[in-house]
Amino acid sequence: MAKTTRKTEEKSVKAVNAAKVTKAAKAKKETKAKKPVKAVKTAAVAETVSAIPVSPLVFEKPEKFEQVNHSLTKIDAMGLVCGVQKYVADVDFKDLLHIKVLGSPHAHAEIKSIDTSSALKVEGVVAIYTWKDVPRVVRTTAGQGFPEPSPYDTCLLDNKVRFVGDRVAIVAAETPEAALEACSKIKVEYKVLKPVFDPEKAMEKGAPVIHDEKDCRVPIPIFYDPKHNHCSHVETAVGDVKKGYKNADYVLERTYYPHYAQHCPIEPHTCMAYLDEYDRLVLRSSTQVPFHARRITAQTLQLPIKKIRVIKPRIGGGFGTKQEVLLEDVCGLVTLRTRRPCIWALTRAEEFMAARTRHPMVCTIKSGVKKDGTITAISMRIISNTGAYGSHALTVLSNCGSKVLPLYRADNIEFIGDTVYTNLPVGGAYRGYGATQAAYAMECQMDEMAEAIGMDPIKFRQKNHIKEGESSPIFKALGEGREGVDMAIGSCGLGKCITEGMKRIEWDKKFNKPGTGTKRRGVGMCCLMQGSSIPEIDMGAVFIKMNEDGSFNMLLGATDLGTGSDTVLGQIAAETLGCKLSDMMVYSSDTDMTPFDVGAYASSTTYLTGGAVITTAKKVRAQIEAVAAKMMGEKLEDITIKDGVCYGKGRKNFVSFARVCTYAMYEHQQFQIGAIGSHISHASPPPFSAHFAEVEVDTETGEVKLLKYVAGVDCGTAINPTLADGQTQGAVMNAISFALTEEYIFDEKGRMLNPDFGNYKIWSTKDLPVIDTFLVPTYEKTGPYGAKSVSEISINGALPAIGNAIKNAVGVRLTRPPYTAEKVLAALKELKSGSGKTVTKSKK
Amino acid sequence: MLKKLTRFYYPETIEDACKYLGSKDEKTAVIAGGTSEALRQDNSIEALVDISRVKELNHIRVDSSSIRIGAATPVQNIYKSTDLKGPAGELLKTVAGKIGSTLLRNSITAGGNLAAVFPWSDLLPAWLVLDAEVVLRKGKPKRTVPVENLLNEKPAKFMAPDEIIAEIIVPTAGKGTGTSFCKFAKTANDYSMITVAALISIKGDSIVKARLALNAVTIAPVRCHEAEKMLEGKKPTAQLFAEVATAVAEKTEVRKDFRASKEYKREVLEVLVRRSLEEACVRAGK
Amino acid sequence: MKINTTINGKKHCLDVKANAMLVDVLRAAGFKSVKFGCGEGMCGCCAVMINGKPRNSCITLAGLAEGAEILTVEGMGNPENPHALQQAFAESGSTQCGYCNPGSLIAAKALLDSNPNPTADDVKDALDGNLCRCTGYVKRIDAVLTAAKAVKKTSKTVRGKK
Repeated sequence: MAKTTRKTEEKSVKAVNAAKVTKAAKAKKETKAKKPVKAVKTAAVAETVSAIPVSPLVFEKPEKFEQVNHSLTKIDAMGLVCGVQKYVADVDFKDLLHIKVLGSPHAHAEIKSIDTSSALKVEGVVAIYTWKDVPRVVRTTAGQGFPEPSPYDTCLLDNKVRFVGDRVAIVAAETPEAALEACSKIKVEYKVLKPVFDPEKAMEKGAPVIHDEKDCRVPIPIFYDPKHNHCSHVETAVGDVKKGYKNADYVLERTYYPHYAQHCPIEPHTCMAYLDEYDRLVLRSSTQVPFHARRITAQTLQLPIKKIRVIKPRIGGGFGTKQEVLLEDVCGLVTLRTRRPCIWALTRAEEFMAARTRHPMVCTIKSGVKKDGTITAISMRIISNTGAYGSHALTVLSNCGSKVLPLYRADNIEFIGDTVYTNLPVGGAYRGYGATQAAYAMECQMDEMAEAIGMDPIKFRQKNHIKEGESSPIFKALGEGREGVDMAIGSCGLGKCITEGMKRIEWDKKFNKPGTGTKRRGVGMCCLMQGSSIPEIDMGAVFIKMNEDGSFNMLLGATDLGTGSDTVLGQIAAETLGCKLSDMMVYSSDTDMTPFDVGAYASSTTYLTGGAVITTAKKVRAQIEAVAAKMMGEKLEDITIKDGVCYGKGRKNFVSFARVCTYAMYEHQQFQIGAIGSHISHASPPPFSAHFAEVEVDTETGEVKLLKYVAGVDCGTAINPTLADGQTQGAVMNAISFALTEEYIFDEKGRMLNPDFGNYKIWSTKDLPVIDTFLVPTYEKTGPYGAKSVSEISINGALPAIGNAIKNAVGVRLTRPPYTAEKVLAALKELKSGSGKTVTKSKK
Repeated sequence: MLKKLTRFYYPETIEDACKYLGSKDEKTAVIAGGTSEALRQDNSIEALVDISRVKELNHIRVDSSSIRIGAATPVQNIYKSTDLKGPAGELLKTVAGKIGSTLLRNSITAGGNLAAVFPWSDLLPAWLVLDAEVVLRKGKPKRTVPVENLLNEKPAKFMAPDEIIAEIIVPTAGKGTGTSFCKFAKTANDYSMITVAALISIKGDSIVKARLALNAVTIAPVRCHEAEKMLEGKKPTAQLFAEVATAVAEKTEVRKDFRASKEYKREVLEVLVRRSLEEACVRAGK
Repeated sequence: MKINTTINGKKHCLDVKANAMLVDVLRAAGFKSVKFGCGEGMCGCCAVMINGKPRNSCITLAGLAEGAEILTVEGMGNPENPHALQQAFAESGSTQCGYCNPGSLIAAKALLDSNPNPTADDVKDALDGNLCRCTGYVKRIDAVLTAAKAVKKTSKTVRGKK
């Protein structure tokens, strides 16, 4: 086994080298790549093409949008509301086995022995697997590009447990009840070890070592020091912060503690496995990353990739937690060993305890500001708690800097970040991805700075925020697991987001007017940015073929997890091809049927895969134009297309798409009109947003009532404005309950006490404040039809906007969210007694 | 997980229901909406007696002197009732509307909410301040007892195995009476952290009747007799309400849980008691 | 044991375990629109109409459905002939991942059945047990109000024809 893992590592090094070669090849302008392809006979390959395609840097803007920028109905909507669309568990199998996994009751323990004999006697139990029964392959569960920037520190099953709920044994049985009963009858002898829950204490000398196994490692050359629970480290500096602080009139420092949270997709993680007619393993999974899931499952079960097919049907929300390969390995194991289909769906409690969470952090911000509003220096120091395993440990951490620090101009910036192992639930990808935590700290700090110099917080931001044509050294300094990509801002609608949002919240009327009495009101705001895809790392590919009625099948690796990306990408294809969305049949995310895509994460699908759609659709369109020109005897350059019809010069001749395809298929020089295309981006243009909150604080109980929330977003061109707006509203709502009520409550042994919707409170319709969202259109040249991302950014706003509104209402700065009534009341008391000073503020 | 459960009985009369419940051959339990998790986890029950189709258990009847609510009436029907009016009726509607969610309110019944005695059984403090009585039936024979007595002894202990809650009777209150209810929780459909119900009757310029009851903040619902004594016969003033609130907060044994500290809950309790009394007083004047 | 129910207008005699929950029984009988989300009656994606009242099927024992009329979204309409609520949900952007939609639509239908002229607050009240993590509820509330108008219009036309 050790050999295998080493081999994988070698491969990873090769992959890195290969990437370099690719770049070199590009630099040589494909001189060597012109090897003739076999199928030269077809007309489509008549043009000279490079074997290695080059992704376009910009996309031109059409005169008028026909299909994109229209709020067309989501293509799967009718099936969803009629209950006919299928999710993972919505198909029936004969002889289906049900899986339950016994979770650890201890936060940190060695498994001394496991006795499964009486569990195996439970009627209906078919198999039980413990760490002794499976190969030991260390890998990561993080569904990221290969080689992953996350440590290989997780096994299918291990002889050590590192958090409450960690896998101990896998049970497969005829019924879920039998599986559950068997779990209760497995006798495990633990050697309980001292746990560590506080990330700062985990770094201290003598702290319990969580990953003391010899084989944990990182697959790429990055910092990793598990012997000190130190999972990742990032450090970068621009200018000289010391000098910056010297030049400041005020220097402020404060620490913020963004908290644990769970994504709470209404559909829990679910996976089904079965063997197909060719004895291949099929995994039907609620995954955001079908291709990564295939690769990581193959790695874990030591299978060749060709033996596995991953199908993603409709999935019931993900928000990042399904970017994790959590179930596929277990289901694959059971089906391969028992040769029977199986299903595993997490319970809600397992979803909270053993799926993934938002990394809680300790964010310390120090900043220097001059009286005129110039920010002279910013130091951001992050300690991120990744829990028991290092999933997304490095990248979430670096995003704290890269998605937050470029927003405001400062000559001197310093970013130091560490990710630390603890014996708590595992962090992972969660919408916002580090930006949520750091933007909270930064945007509170912005208000504090404005207050220190006596400037309106909005004016202060307007003076300092990045604008079109400007760049930030941070873009280059901080990438994902490696250096980032330098870029200038091509589009920025933040100014308009701010001014329009101010109007809608009635800022001038409400700011600094708390009123009197027991209930005080306040408004607060924040500015945000995110990215759009991971530049020069992530890739999406698309295949389009034409049918003889003029319709198209579009096969995508991209993963619609409920966001509507199938529709959005269909609109982009229809726009490029010159037909209607209703003529696009979109099928996504099936590793056998669709080309590769990294999957749904990093705010990339519209921006990145949309680029691949344009590239591919253009190729197909060129074929249609060529056939139409031949059919009509017209010159190729005279052909125009509108609504599925090709016209000749002066629009005298025309042929429909249906005729074109029928001709190409059946009549002359027959061929399939169709193409495949890929795209990588060379930039990650930020969407921008301004959020505003109005609150009423009950000074006797500490209750915070959110009255109104306004969010304006610049996502470039909204390909489907209704869906883009829906992304904003959904993210805002999630963020609001995160800020006010969602929290993990642990006992002293590291067990979560509230792993259910009864006690972990996400909001319902009755809690809804007035929510007002709007889009500010800009045109981002590097994005398909001017689009940037929209999905993540708006989850970053509520923590700082509501925090700033509370400060405005009652004068307290809360640094330990969620802002529960108890914490607010405690802060109010502290303020009264004058002990509420936690900020180091020095005036020179 | 009701591992031993093999059958359901669907009686149409109270007598039949009691007969099944009194069976010596099998362990039975009564069920109506079935939301009780404790019941779903019970592995000794062999048969369930579904009383949801017993017609005489499902009603809301209002006359000049009383409101009568059948035990199997879903609390959603109380919340949406157009017959319930006046200080008592309005209080019941308000409280019923704060229980769980629409979907849960269609399952939770008035009798189930009373029999299970959860900290978050929000109707309990309302029954207490309304001097509600409960009709218990053991086949034909019945006894009518104050809800307070039933709660003091825990329904499961108070009632015979073949006895069921049939009806809850609330005397209506006329002019000069005001009621109020406060629920303190994280979100609208959250379990209650604190519930306070109050009733105040005013004649002339003094309080002639006062009722105050709490739940959720305490282990079991409690009626605050001492506080009531402090109020009755006095002139309703802000100061009096504040004093009573302070006294209640001091004397109440606050339940410990992970949702908020005891100290904090005690503080909020004081505020809510004061506000409830003030609100009931304002309404009494209307 | 056997239970007799009418599901979406058709009679069914189902063989069930006495301790089975209605959600599992309905799904096994092929009504896959009924989803499982939390198993504790807190998220509402398993909601079905039982004798005209929307309830959580994940905490409702199947035995309680003896003799009952059950409605799931499959019985509300289909893509060719959707219910006004389904139409409004689809067109308004109220459906993202869609997992919570069947339960929400059932709750919304119960509202319109009892109150054809709901206000936004009525909608918020009626859908308070249907958690949605994707949409933020705003579009859903609008969709129910739109559907209410559409339902009224159609019922008027029908009456007018008579």
